[in-house]
Amino acid sequence: MKISFRCNGKPMQLEISPETRALDVLRDTLGLTGVKEGCGKGECGACTVLVDGLPVSSCLLPAAKLEGTEVLTIEGLRKPDGSLHPLQQAFLDEGAVQCGFCTPGMIMSAKALLDETPRPQVEDIEEALSGNICRCTGYGKIVQAVMRAAEKSEEGRHDG
Amino acid sequence: MYYCIPRTVNEALQTVAEHPAGAFIAGGTDLMILISEGLKKPDGLIDLSRIEDLRAIRKDEKFLILGSAVTMRQLARHEDIPLCLRMGASQVGSPQIRSVATLGGNICNASPCGDTLPGLLVLDAEFLLKSLKEERRVKAKDFFLSPKKTALRTGEILVEVRFPLIKLTGSSGFAKIGQRRGQVISQVNAAVWCTLEKESGVLSDLRIAAGSVAPVPLELTALEEKLLGKVLDDETIEGVRQVAGELIAPITDVRATEEYRRAVMGSLIVDALRSALEASGRWKGGNK
Repeated sequence: MKISFRCNGKPMQLEISPETRALDVLRDTLGLTGVKEGCGKGECGACTVLVDGLPVSSCLLPAAKLEGTEVLTIEGLRKPDGSLHPLQQAFLDEGAVQCGFCTPGMIMSAKALLDETPRPQVEDIEEALSGNICRCTGYGKIVQAVMRAAEKSEEGRHDG
Repeated sequence: MYYCIPRTVNEALQTVAEHPAGAFIAGGTDLMILISEGLKKPDGLIDLSRIEDLRAIRKDEKFLILGSAVTMRQLARHEDIPLCLRMGASQVGSPQIRSVATLGGNICNASPCGDTLPGLLVLDAEFLLKSLKEERRVKAKDFFLSPKKTALRTGEILVEVRFPLIKLTGSSGFAKIGQRRGQVISQVNAAVWCTLEKESGVLSDLRIAAGSVAPVPLELTALEEKLLGKVLDDETIEGVRQVAGELIAPITDVRATEEYRRAVMGSLIVDALRSALEASGRWKGGNK
């Protein structure tokens, strides 16, 4: 079947077989390998992308469900001038990365949170990231990074 | 494999009549795992999640009406929804799952541990089932037949879930326990709905249901009868903890043992009652 959607701002038209997972279309067809496959069962959050602004596990999503949607992956976060998104920068600054495999998913879940709740409490962050598992164990710095990104964005708004 | 995206209930019913071996998909968070692992091989998929009527939450004169494709995220955030259902929905899977998983999926999947199911029982929910030939309403308590088996017939779609508006006047709550706090399947869950007499705090109406403690979500009528007319003081609460475990029919499975489920049942019901009454300052049971 043919599907049309927007991915990281660009219009896409693809021929897919319906049982294909959105994860496979994003990684294999579109080469967006920042979308990671961890468990393949919707339990780890490594494959998280935003569909119409909401975080979803792309391993559980048939590609057919992308029809008519707006998809955002980690590759779409960087600004047109090449600079990093405040969340990406904050993850670097706080050292919120160990092996890095969970990082794209963490950042996409955090993005969904900050879009809706620009000044989150720690509990909001923990809740928003509750579907993202880091096996290197380092949640403290990840939560700090999200907090820092929120503060930076807030400062940016005041400066602007 | 085909993939159909009907835009109306009628179109969906026509589609399933033409493709009786097709499977319905809504959020797909349960079905896609089965398909990926080769455990289910449907002819094709009929996607119910784009039907506007099924995504709506509305009220008429007598009922609160939830479309079957309302997502867990929608349910968890909608202030008209009673707490027992909101809390249940907010604890299904992860935020990623709740973005797409639907109420109708939780119902039709008919897992004994579904986190919205005890809430639907205590709210006296009714399900509207439509086929090309007829429509019928089935009460939640009659819908679940055994694990993964429901009263839904081939060619039927669960269209809406409704419960009487009068249910909004009571207090309700939910509690679940799993091996960790987030992203976890319930070992046991419980929902309660109750009304208290104004001055005395006597329980004038009470409904209690639990999940993952029997082949289907179970209402604990014997416990309801025992508690009606009582005040939820320390003694009554201790009584709930003592007897609740004997009123269920759990098994030992990968998630918990039968003994564990019996041991925690009473405490979960107490937690659900606390969540129901604490918000309005009517919880007298302390912090135990």
